[in-house]
Amino acid sequence: MARHLKFVVALGVMLLLGLMVSAEQRFPPPDFENGYVLPSASTPPARQFWLQYADAGVLLACLAVAVFLLYKKRSRRGLFWLSLFSLAYFGFYRKGCVCVIGSPQNVVYGLFNPQYAVPATVLIFCFAPIVVALFAGRAFCAGVCPQGALQDFMLIKPVSVPLWLEQALGVIPFVFLGAGLICAGTGTGFLICRYDPFVPFFRLSGGLFILAAGAVFLLAGMFVGRPYCRFLCPYGGLLRLASLASKWRVRVTPAVCTQCRLCEKSCPFGAMREPAPAQTNPTGLAAERKRLGWLLVLLPALVLAGAWAGAKLSPAAAQLDPNVALAERYLRQQSHPAQYGLMTPEALSLQRASENPAPILQSAAEARRRYDTACRLFGGWIGLILGVKLIALSLRSSRTDYEPDRGACFACARCFSACPDERVRLGQIL
Amino acid sequence: MNASPVYRALVLTAWVAGVFCALLCGVLAYEHFAAATNDPWKSPQLLALKDKLAAEPKNEAAQKEIRQLDLQFRRQFRRRLALDKTGAWLLAAGVVVLALAAGRAVTLKKPLPLPQPKTGGGEQSVRLASRARWSLAGVGLVIAGSLLVVRLGNTSYLPASQAGWQKLLAPSAAQEAPVEDVPALAEFQANWPRFRGWDGSGVSLSGSNAVAGVLWQSAIPAPGHSSPVVWGDRVFISGGTVARREVFCYNAATGALLWQRPLENVPGSPPKVAEVPEDTGYAASTMATDGRHVYAIFANGDLGAFNFDGTVAWTKYLGPWKNPYGYATSLAVWGSNLLIQLDQGDARPAGSKLLSLQGASGRVLWERDRPVPASWATPIVIEAAGKTQIITLANPWVISYALAGGNELWRAQLLENEVVPSPVLAGGYVLLLSPSTSLMALRPDGAGDVTKTCVVWTNEENVPDISSPVSNGELAFTVTSGGMVTCVGVGDGKKVWEKQLDMEVQASPGLMGGRLFVLGEHGPLAMLQAGRKPDDLGRIALADRFVASPAFAGGHVFLRGMTNLYCLGPAAAKSAKQP
Repeated sequence: MARHLKFVVALGVMLLLGLMVSAEQRFPPPDFENGYVLPSASTPPARQFWLQYADAGVLLACLAVAVFLLYKKRSRRGLFWLSLFSLAYFGFYRKGCVCVIGSPQNVVYGLFNPQYAVPATVLIFCFAPIVVALFAGRAFCAGVCPQGALQDFMLIKPVSVPLWLEQALGVIPFVFLGAGLICAGTGTGFLICRYDPFVPFFRLSGGLFILAAGAVFLLAGMFVGRPYCRFLCPYGGLLRLASLASKWRVRVTPAVCTQCRLCEKSCPFGAMREPAPAQTNPTGLAAERKRLGWLLVLLPALVLAGAWAGAKLSPAAAQLDPNVALAERYLRQQSHPAQYGLMTPEALSLQRASENPAPILQSAAEARRRYDTACRLFGGWIGLILGVKLIALSLRSSRTDYEPDRGACFACARCFSACPDERVRLGQIL
Repeated sequence: MNASPVYRALVLTAWVAGVFCALLCGVLAYEHFAAATNDPWKSPQLLALKDKLAAEPKNEAAQKEIRQLDLQFRRQFRRRLALDKTGAWLLAAGVVVLALAAGRAVTLKKPLPLPQPKTGGGEQSVRLASRARWSLAGVGLVIAGSLLVVRLGNTSYLPASQAGWQKLLAPSAAQEAPVEDVPALAEFQANWPRFRGWDGSGVSLSGSNAVAGVLWQSAIPAPGHSSPVVWGDRVFISGGTVARREVFCYNAATGALLWQRPLENVPGSPPKVAEVPEDTGYAASTMATDGRHVYAIFANGDLGAFNFDGTVAWTKYLGPWKNPYGYATSLAVWGSNLLIQLDQGDARPAGSKLLSLQGASGRVLWERDRPVPASWATPIVIEAAGKTQIITLANPWVISYALAGGNELWRAQLLENEVVPSPVLAGGYVLLLSPSTSLMALRPDGAGDVTKTCVVWTNEENVPDISSPVSNGELAFTVTSGGMVTCVGVGDGKKVWEKQLDMEVQASPGLMGGRLFVLGEHGPLAMLQAGRKPDDLGRIALADRFVASPAFAGGHVFLRGMTNLYCLGPAAAKSAKQP
């Protein structure tokens, strides 16, 4: 029966693909004269100033409530309802914008583009969850993130991902973060927002590719807890780092761990870590030290190799920039002319380029220079995170109790109710 | 073990919700793909009605039907949008029920945890860390491989080196320099720089001598229907076959072939040359010159600029074109601008364009898509209503573009059939022919669609299908393929006289020194008084076949026959001489 259930659920979610793709189409204006004057296209007005601050206020309030529910009340139920509220407010009402996950791009874009002033509310959205994580872990993920709430809601029968695989895939969010910040810094666009798989659901509209990606994540999220948060979310990477240094941390038991292992299976995100005794074998210890030494030597080599590879990637990456892409198309058309349909974007852009190619080529040259630097940094960044992660995996930590990994724990409070001591505290066990 | 009623109810709910979601998705998907495949804009019914309206522009019933059909499509579109929105919300509700019911059912069936004591935690941690390091290395390799694939799969046309960038960016500034080096208008008027003269009118301002006979004739090495263009002491013509397209430069005084240069190795031009109808050939388009360069375009899509010494200045490939009879529209020049009307295809939209290039560099200044099928008329440039306008003809639109920037100024839906004759400016009006249908005079001072307001007069007598009109400002002359010459008043369009010449005619007539020149397909060159009476001023017999139109410069007439280039003038030699 469970197999049938999975099938039904999978079918339902996969068919979500058909949900809103039609909303992309537009109907052309009449092509005959009838006296009707088409209204000029206009940009929607910006959200009112006070409403922007209201959004920031709601975010801060939600963070405060999340911390309260997590540390004071230790309430999974409270966090569940808070996450539903966040899903409704930040997801469906605010349609995923301003989004905490994408906000670092605004900050980086503002840093490298003097014409753009980062709004104070965006700064709040960007830094408030990180500041909270420095004190209280990933409270934002627990009950405030709408993307996380949507995945949490769809979680039906979690299966565990092998820890070695989880550790390896854990570097991908940092790669995505680097790519997103590079694109924002170079002025290409907000990659993280563009490829957010859940925002199309919030907006009931989106491209076929991104809707399909969202459906795949939701489908996978029925059996793998929060796959986007664990293996792709770039902001999650930042929160993971901040949580490692958090002042307070989530504790499963309110008293003393009896090592009953009941909490181990309660975490659907693979964040629970079992006790690990300290290394006592001197031979093994020497080998581990030797490996660590090699990895420390390897780290700068990886960074340099990454920067070199990034430089080689630069011409391809630069084509993400619209001016570089247009310059490439223009030069290709000069040497390999192609026919484009009437009034197609390709034909119109080529027409624009042909009228005055000099500024486009000049702009492309500047973009290529920016991308050359940015891609070196991006390559170096990938080398750095791989090297640091290898070093981290070569460091031995010792634990005496079952406890959540500070970085990986979403602070969802599911493990609380699995602990017999917690049940005693709540009066559920006498 | 029997399942509890609650569990059964939850499973049933999940099934119902799943089937509901599936059905709803099916409906939405069907709607989406049906809408994607049945684009109302391509509805055969609508296209048929549009064609009907194009053929009969004043058909009110067709207009009404189009409006009704358009409204019907718009209503269907709005209904579908509403259905999509409702469906999306219903689907969202279905998914919520599905997730809740399935989640609850799974929870009810979840076995109670019975963890056993665990041993060997330390060794397991070591093994786990080792595996994690290797898998991390694997992830690193996947990332590196992905980036490598991206890099290898990418082709960049932009320079990789600083020197390459400097070279690429430098010409952009240099290209502007030659603009100032443009001959004065008087020089253009004294020569014959394009098809039918400096303004495309067929009227020569540079001579009034009587033309008595052939001064010289010179063999043309390659076939073609393009007309001669003349600048100073040079006459240029083009010719070509599937194997070779060439430009020929002759001495205007002696007929000596000064140089001939093939147009070859044009970047982007396919090695296998596109076939074109034999009757039209590869060199039907007349060349053009601005006194600094001479430009040639061929039916395979090759365009080239040559210096006066025969060296190639630049080349471009603009093809391939879809043209049922082969590309034959001639080039036009105005100042430093080279204008190319590239009409093609037999249905709308067809990829037709009008291009303006900087003559010195070949740089495309602007390019405009045109909503017309293939045509064979050559554009003219006029100064009217305070603007420099490019007048283009094709079925069904007469469209005027601003020379500066290429913006459309006005258009009129007036033309039918396959448009070959070119327009002329006469007495402040644009005279144009809807082939075999009507001769019209238009006021070129409108804006937008001027179909109902721009036509001053229409004359439907003896309307040619190939040759273009010519006018001295007071009278306009047309010549049909059967040799019927008709004179009408430019002011009112009324016929003044008509005269049947005993000849077949394909070339457009010309005016020089108050004489109307009509060239028979197999000769002769007939000369009539360009006045209110068709006085016969003589004929010059010629033993060749003539399709190209005559060029006039320095009081001489230059004719391109199938085999020879001829120069006719006042002091005719007793017999044609071969240089």
